[in-house]
Amino acid sequence: MNNPLFVVSPGLYIWSLVIFLLVLLILKKYAWTPLLDFLDQREKEISDSLAMAESAKADLEKVKEESEKILNEAKNQGKSIVSDSKQKAEDSANKILNDAKAKSDEFVLDAKKKIDVEKKKAIKEIKEEVVGLSLDLASQVLQRNVKDEDNNKFVDSSLKAINTDEAKS
Amino acid sequence: MNNALKIFFVCLMLISPIIAGGGGETNKELDPVYEAISHVADSMKITKVGNSYEAGEISALFTLPKIYGIDFSITKHVFLLLLVSFITVTSIIFLVQRYISSHTKVPGKPMNFVEMIVVYIRENVLKNFIGEKYYREWAPLVYTLFFFILVGNFLGLIPIFDFLGFVNYFGSKLINIDYHNTFLYPFTKGGNTVTANINLNFALATITFFAFTIAGIKKYGPIGHWKNFAPPGLAWPLYFIVVPIEILGMLLRPLTLTLRLAGNMMGGHLALIIFTGLVMQIAQSYNSVLMGLAGASLFSVPLSICIIFLEILVGFLQAYVFALLTAVFIGMAVNVHH
Repeated sequence: MNNPLFVVSPGLYIWSLVIFLLVLLILKKYAWTPLLDFLDQREKEISDSLAMAESAKADLEKVKEESEKILNEAKNQGKSIVSDSKQKAEDSANKILNDAKAKSDEFVLDAKKKIDVEKKKAIKEIKEEVVGLSLDLASQVLQRNVKDEDNNKFVDSSLKAINTDEAKS
Repeated sequence: MNNALKIFFVCLMLISPIIAGGGGETNKELDPVYEAISHVADSMKITKVGNSYEAGEISALFTLPKIYGIDFSITKHVFLLLLVSFITVTSIIFLVQRYISSHTKVPGKPMNFVEMIVVYIRENVLKNFIGEKYYREWAPLVYTLFFFILVGNFLGLIPIFDFLGFVNYFGSKLINIDYHNTFLYPFTKGGNTVTANINLNFALATITFFAFTIAGIKKYGPIGHWKNFAPPGLAWPLYFIVVPIEILGMLLRPLTLTLRLAGNMMGGHLALIIFTGLVMQIAQSYNSVLMGLAGASLFSVPLSICIIFLEILVGFLQAYVFALLTAVFIGMAVNVHH
């Protein structure tokens, strides 16, 4: 069999062996080993950065939790501060109100006392006036002048009577 | 405009084998089978004996002296082998070195392709079959096999020599000399796909053979490796069957690798050249160039383009299969399961 498509040629066989081995050695040294190292390194870098990202995420979670905690605390504190100050404000307002009430009561009482005194004074004056007027009227009716002594006696007695009346009322 | 030029160029390349093959000899009957065979075969004289074709003596591009009776002359396939090696080495080293030394660490498109294959083979072939522990040792071999065969297969799809024949024929017509006498003439006949040559494939398969033998010896020692041919725990009469089968299997592996690759590449190229040869046959049987051109536009070019696409797929697949099987065999030698 001498098929041109299947010619055995040892020359080409040896050429192929030698050249392929050369290609293999050259590529191994300058391409495959560096490339595989490079790929490994890059994969390591990627996994490292992924791990870093993971830990950063965890850190972030932690920080978030903490900040939430702090926020909650601050909220609570704020609430308590507000309620405290509200209480205080209410207290002080109440106090002021009470003070004002007490003062106004005092004022009212004072005023009442003063009014009473004035009233009494006025009543007394009116009474004296009334007595004088009635005496004048009586002397005119009697057409005579009652003696001063009698006059005074009468005035005193009627004043007494009025006073007792007043005391009774 | 650009696209039209491209299409024109592709068509030119597609029919160039015919012109190169049958160039000018109008009075001579063209033989498509001869053209097909001489397209695929290495550079040699091919003679028709009865209904078959026989290989004659080698007509080398550069004749070198014989050493121990072995002809080391640079034939077309040796030339292609050198070309494939050169392209593989320079392109891959260029891409890888540029990628590694770049600051951005972002691969370009070609490097992306290389990296994709490298990572794919590492994850799905090397780690799967050879294992995490040993794969680094054998990865360069598998990668080199893959890219070497891939470049060889793809280079075979570019009709370099046929195009040179085309240039030679019209060039010599232009300056009015016999195209048989030009310096380009030895480059113009056949021999396109170096991976369709059994000698080269057998050399690659030999390397695979030694690779898995060495892998086994490295793991189990020079005696332990051969002991693996006799799996323990069988009834003793069975060893008379199992051991020869195992040894036969081991010896057949390089042969199957060789023939698979050669057969695939040769078949594709024969189909390609036969479809292209339709032009010649149609022109011949109707005795008109116009009919030939009509045939070309109707059958040859579309069919050839389809076959070329198929060949791209097959070329890729066969390179992968060769690399995969190498990894599988190494894995079988390293991880012996019984």
